[in-house]
Amino acid sequence: MWRWIGFLLAVAAGIGLGLLYGWVISPVQYTDTAPDTLRADYRADYVLMVAEIYHHEHDPSLAAQRLAFLGSEAPSRIAAEGLDFALQHGYAPADVAMLQELAWALLTWQPAAGGVP
Amino acid sequence: MIERPESPRRGGHWYLLTGLLIGLALGLVYAWKISPVRYVDTDPAALRADFKDQYRLTIASAYLATGNLARAQARLALLQESDPLQAINDQAQRWLGQGKPAQEREALLALASALRQSQPAAVSSPSLPNEPSLPAQPGATDSLTPSASGRASSAQTPSPSATPTRTRLPPASPTPRPTHTPTPTPGAPFRLSSHQTICDPALPEGLLQIEVRDGSGKAIAGVEIVITWQGGEEHFFTGLKPEMGNGYADYQMTPGVLYALRLLPASTLVTDLSAPSCNDQGTEYWGGLRLIFEQR
Repeated sequence: MWRWIGFLLAVAAGIGLGLLYGWVISPVQYTDTAPDTLRADYRADYVLMVAEIYHHEHDPSLAAQRLAFLGSEAPSRIAAEGLDFALQHGYAPADVAMLQELAWALLTWQPAAGGVP
Repeated sequence: MIERPESPRRGGHWYLLTGLLIGLALGLVYAWKISPVRYVDTDPAALRADFKDQYRLTIASAYLATGNLARAQARLALLQESDPLQAINDQAQRWLGQGKPAQEREALLALASALRQSQPAAVSSPSLPNEPSLPAQPGATDSLTPSASGRASSAQTPSPSATPTRTRLPPASPTPRPTHTPTPTPGAPFRLSSHQTICDPALPEGLLQIEVRDGSGKAIAGVEIVITWQGGEEHFFTGLKPEMGNGYADYQMTPGVLYALRLLPASTLVTDLSAPSCNDQGTEYWGGLRLIFEQR
């Protein structure tokens, strides 16, 4: 009986060590990540880049294509998230204005058939 | 019959080690396979190579739209590449080979050119290396800018957004405007100043070498060259082989084919270009040409 208890305690200790090693000491390394895992501030800055380009070329279709880089969400939603972030974190007024311009344009933009959803 | 009590000595304590190893294996399977660490707040430096290319292109396009080189440099720094300029040149070269749209290559080359021209200034300016890279705080040069996020980030990432407090940025941080960037005389035509035949068996046969300089003799990167022949046309740029010089470009001519060449936006049209026949100690081979253009 004690032998079984000792065995199970050893198993539990081993699991604990395994988790410690696998999660803390040597976790799975991600080096080839996808853009949808980017941290919120980096995402917002990417959206700002797209807004800067949009402010120059006024092509919502291209802007939507560029925003698709950040994931499969609707471009208008990605732009709106970027704008929210900028407003919450006090981006410069000129940058906020460009983000607003982009978000508004994508809100009213209708993708062509086969385009970015 | 005498019943023998269970004795640890019979199997020793191996059962403990066995249990430990089984547990360890189970723990690792769980930690690495079933529920591995998930990265949800990654930084651009961890992106896959093709995503980095896209990120770099967006930086270049944004630079082309705004002319804000300081911001473009800060964004490029997020990719944590040892030589961002080389990375851009490499990408432009690859994209040229892959037939990507010309405006994308032009954006990359414009940023590469601006970076190259800004390098001496950056080295001589003592304030620039200490400036924070602030893509997450795009309004940094304007005024007080709060951090973008207070979340924990990986320790090795010098993220500007790691501090959850308002940070006053250097008020005198220079934000070079596009008009400050020295550029070749815009719109001035290029003139062919030298046309040489090169007979060098060490060079590839039919190599057409082009060098483009401005009025002061300084090499110019990013100049678009158009070469045409019967039934074909190709565009390429100077500066894609920085090891050969910023104003250098080359093209592999097919022996026996006549080419015409011009530079954009305007240059003299050079016609009847073809690989010359050379002779090296009785051995015939195809030589090359070297054209030098200067801006007037």
